[in-house]
Amino acid sequence: MGAGLAGERVAVAAAVSGFDCLCLSIVPPRRSHSSAAQGGMQASLGNCAMGRGDSPDIHFADTVKGSDWGCDQEVARLFARTAPVAVREMAFWGIPWNRVVAGKGFYYKAGKKYEKIEPAERAGTITARDFGGTAKWRTCYTSDGTGHTLLYTMDSQVVRLGIEVHDRVEALALIHDGESCTGVVARCLKTGKLRVYLARATLIATGGYGKLYRESTNAVINWGDGAAIALDTGLVPIGNPEAVQFHPTGIVPTNILVTEGCRGDGGTLKDVDENRFMNIYEPEKQELASRDVVSRWMTHHIRTGKGVPGAYGAHLWLDIRHLGAEHIKTKLREVEEICKEFLDRDPVTQLIPVRPAQHYSMGGVRTDRDGAAYGLKGLFAAGEAACWDLHGFNRLGGNSLAETIVAGKIVGEKIVEFLRGGETDFKTSVVHRAVEKVRERIDAVTGSSGKENVYLLRAAMGDVLMDQVGIFRNEADLRDAVEKLQAIYERSKKIGLRSSSVHGANPELSACLRLPGMVRLALCIARGALMRTESRGAHAREDYPERNDRDWLKRTLAYWKDDRELLPVLDYELPSRVWEMPPGERGYGSIKIIASEDPGICSPRPETN
Amino acid sequence: MLADETIPQIRPVRAEAWLEFVQVLTGVALVAFMWMHMLLVASINVDLGGGRVLNLIARFFEASDMTQIGGPLIAAVMLVHFVVAARKLPLRVREQRAIWSHSLSFHHTDTWLWVVQAGTAFIILILGSIHMWTVLTTLPITAAKSAGRIQGRWWLGFYLVLLPMVELHVGIGVYRAGVKWGLIKRASRKASARFETKLALAMIAIGLVSLFTFLVLTKA
Amino acid sequence: MGRTLKFNIFRFNAEDPASVPHMDGFRLEETEAMTLFIALNRLREQQDPTLMFDFMCRAGICGSCAMMINGRPDLACHTKTKDLPAEITLLPMPVFKLIGDLSVDTGTWFRSMNEKVRSWIHTDNRFEPGEEEERMDNALAENIYELDRCIECGCCVAACGKAAMMPDKFMGATAFCRITRFMVDPRDERKSDEYFEVVGNEEGIFGCLGLLGCEDTCPKNLPLQDQLAMLRRKMGFSQIRHLFSGK
Ligand SMILES: Cc1cc2nc3c(=O)[nH]c(=O)nc-3n(C[C@H](O)[C@H](O)[C@H](O)COP(=O)(O)OP(=O)(O)OC[C@H]3O[C@@H](n4cnc5c(N)ncnc54)[C@H](O)[C@@H]3O)c2cc1C
Ligand code: HEM
Ligand code: SF4
Ligand code: SF4
Ligand code: FES
Repeated sequence: MGAGLAGERVAVAAAVSGFDCLCLSIVPPRRSHSSAAQGGMQASLGNCAMGRGDSPDIHFADTVKGSDWGCDQEVARLFARTAPVAVREMAFWGIPWNRVVAGKGFYYKAGKKYEKIEPAERAGTITARDFGGTAKWRTCYTSDGTGHTLLYTMDSQVVRLGIEVHDRVEALALIHDGESCTGVVARCLKTGKLRVYLARATLIATGGYGKLYRESTNAVINWGDGAAIALDTGLVPIGNPEAVQFHPTGIVPTNILVTEGCRGDGGTLKDVDENRFMNIYEPEKQELASRDVVSRWMTHHIRTGKGVPGAYGAHLWLDIRHLGAEHIKTKLREVEEICKEFLDRDPVTQLIPVRPAQHYSMGGVRTDRDGAAYGLKGLFAAGEAACWDLHGFNRLGGNSLAETIVAGKIVGEKIVEFLRGGETDFKTSVVHRAVEKVRERIDAVTGSSGKENVYLLRAAMGDVLMDQVGIFRNEADLRDAVEKLQAIYERSKKIGLRSSSVHGANPELSACLRLPGMVRLALCIARGALMRTESRGAHAREDYPERNDRDWLKRTLAYWKDDRELLPVLDYELPSRVWEMPPGERGYGSIKIIASEDPGICSPRPETN
Repeated sequence: MLADETIPQIRPVRAEAWLEFVQVLTGVALVAFMWMHMLLVASINVDLGGGRVLNLIARFFEASDMTQIGGPLIAAVMLVHFVVAARKLPLRVREQRAIWSHSLSFHHTDTWLWVVQAGTAFIILILGSIHMWTVLTTLPITAAKSAGRIQGRWWLGFYLVLLPMVELHVGIGVYRAGVKWGLIKRASRKASARFETKLALAMIAIGLVSLFTFLVLTKA
Repeated sequence: MGRTLKFNIFRFNAEDPASVPHMDGFRLEETEAMTLFIALNRLREQQDPTLMFDFMCRAGICGSCAMMINGRPDLACHTKTKDLPAEITLLPMPVFKLIGDLSVDTGTWFRSMNEKVRSWIHTDNRFEPGEEEERMDNALAENIYELDRCIECGCCVAACGKAAMMPDKFMGATAFCRITRFMVDPRDERKSDEYFEVVGNEEGIFGCLGLLGCEDTCPKNLPLQDQLAMLRRKMGFSQIRHLFSGK
């Protein structure tokens, strides 16, 4: 399920080993959301002057710090070690990564100009740019279209290998007998007909769930289908649903993201008086502090009345004018295009209106480090849909593209091992039951005399999440949010179609089938956030501003045991088995820490395996 | 199985490349001829319709057998050009409908240019052949004979149609050949188009002046 | 501001036996910074929930939303209503198979295009995980990227008179551009003749009439005119060379 970067990388791994595989996707594969990533992908190649001396160790440390010690350190280790190989492999398949150009160059940091010299002996190797939250320049890129070239190149391998992709097919439910997953029931979005796909191994790689939120940088199909489907089984948990990242620079009003590269290259944030403020809140990292930190200070700054008032609410300014026309027109062309196309503004001479918007879901289908989902055999997950758990409570910019490729590679190989390791029994009764259940869902909607409007309910859910489960959270709001979401969930059972006919792939029917799952997921987020009485990474509680390693160094696992329930069942586990890097200070986003008292966690341990 | 391990033995069909060259080369040859032809005919204006210069030139070409050989040669080139270029013409009704409705809804200059070129092609084929047949079967070429034809009503109408048709076809043809083969680049396209328009208009003007001279000043 | 926009939208649902192709009229108040993405979603959510169209990234990146806007193919998500007259006619793109209303099947078309032009790096090398990457000049990398920017939206095909006449066969500018992308890439070891096999014919570059509908509508502003000319020259001359080399 899913033909984004993660799904396709897994498919390639399986196909190369001789297995038949098939990708389902709502959209043609090259339109998957991965193509929207502009900034870049992290791998510690250490080629460029500003990345010299980089290594998987430093990448690992940055990732763990970024996650606010919420990640699985074994996974982070594996990831950091594999990323450079993955980047080179993509180069081999055809990515035109930007390369090191020997000689003198300039770069901007926090609005000041610096000089760097690239030695001739590294010329032509894959270069990197600066991105928030990293110690070295480590983000490999192709101008402003990294996700695009990655996805196109990956899909070129899919085409080469003859891997079938069924696009405009939406998975609606997993087929399982309580122990193993043996495929999915899906609906064709061309004809509206149901289809059954049987598989020995099923992968969820459906991307993030940003579109639960009213304001999100995500594509319009990022509804969290994969997570919702997994949750539906009652057996597979969602890991850390409350860990939701916001991006500091979505443009107003459409929330189209302008890349981190703007700030990486020296763009600055300004308020209503056109004064900078990040240099006051974060004297060291300034605009380059990690996303959650920047987003939070922006919201804070707007709340102190320094926002720029506008028709769509207050916002701030992003200033890249000083980078110059040439830099903007080549290195940041997509940004220029976005401003001109969608805002009628010229970033060379004008400021860009921005505000934080939902951006990334760290949580997802919980898997072990092989990508195997908890709870069901034969079910795997990778990419943004999964909680592998590389990102913990905050993902570093550029780590998610890297995750899709690296996890895709690793999980793909593990699936191959799994397939070689045993046989699968397909039970027609199980298939039949799964199909019947989906058909009942459809009949319930088409036969309903309810008056609720699916679009209004969806908007109501988006408002609740945005306003009360957003960047700053507190108990009163979260309690209220849970109640409101429960009410929406109840109402979602009384949706009535307004369409005059439901022949074919009626878009309203699709929305109706999806909504209950989305609300359940939203409830997991709100409930998880309510229970977590600390602040960690992107999860910021105003009433519990400290990071509490003593009580909360654990990962939320949210289950939805029964359709009729109105709340998820929450369980917790330790985030990591090994503590190569014991919890400490991140070095940015100043925060009080309540230390852990577990001796097994506090002292560093050598890497196992 | 890796697909690229099964690359079939490649045996390219070269004819398409050849035809493409033949089309553009015959087109350009015809253009060169047309411009020459236009200037030669315009020599009628030099002595204000007296016809001495034109007759002199005509005699020279005939004496050196260039007309007798060149004429049919040009006709042959035209025939080849026609045969080759006709591959591109929409011959089926379905295709004609398709391009026509596409052009109507898609307000786009260059698409219209091609439609004009294809349309003029049909007319040139018929009128051009008649013209050539008449001229080449009644050699030698003299100013008086031409004037005589043009002063006849039908022939005047004939030339008033043929002239702009040819010039449109030529003007557009040169521009499009330039675009297709990259002589005209993205950066120079606008300027080239403007230049071509002026050139075509100038040619039509020269042609009209010549026709006027034949019609009014030259004695039949 | 304050205009009332009148939309004429093509409607047809092939799955509904009662449906016949026709145009439907809608009225919608224009609001500030409105794009067709905003407008169409409002129409669906407030007026007719059966209306079919495609959006994905709503940022001009994914190529999902191309349609005929007042006769011209363009991405609906980056078309501002402000730049359009008050009466807006929307049709699905031609050439591609219609799914319903404004939605067409570009996925199948582009997959088969990619298969036809064998749109991947052809090499006999094997990837060596331990080795440093092959070096490449940055200018070349940027040049490749420039040609790799096509978002497979299909506008160039919908704008192409040749494709209109030859809808099931003509490859379209996107395919030509894709081929030049691999031609300039030194990692691809294909020879001219192998490319010729793919595009050296009437369905390919020699079928192109040079109408430049593609060049003038590509929403990503790819250098199609220059690439098409380059491909025509390369393909043409590669065969002339055979004449002299006597093969
Ligand atoms: C604007 C933006 C910019 C970004 N920039 C960067 C960046 O610079 N660097 C970085 O590292 N990360 C970036 N990210 C994050 C990164 O792009 C994503 O995390 C990553 O691409 C996710 O890839 P994926 O393969 O997991 O999912 P996706 O690419 O989202 O693919 C999901 C796939 O699942 C399919 N699907 C979904 N639901 C179903 C269903 N029910 N049935 C069947 N198929 C389904 C979809 O059709 C699609 O093919 C950015 C994200 C955004 C929103
Ligand atoms: C016999 C009658 C003629 C016919 C039927 C004819 C037909 C055509 C057609 C259909 C084209 C378009 C080909 C394409 O789009 O690829 C064309 C192109 C062209 N024609 Fe003609 N033509 C005729 C006479 C002429 C004459 C008399 C001239 C010059 C004086 C001429 C010059 C050109 C040129 C320069 C081109 C462009 C070449 C190209 O696109 O490759 N043609 N012709
Ligand atoms: S230039 Fe060629 S590909 Fe482009 S629109 Fe014209 S005929 Fe089609
Ligand atoms: S070449 Fe341009 S118009 Fe054609 S598919 Fe690509 S992006 Fe779209
Ligand atoms: S929706 Fe992606 S290009 Fe318009």
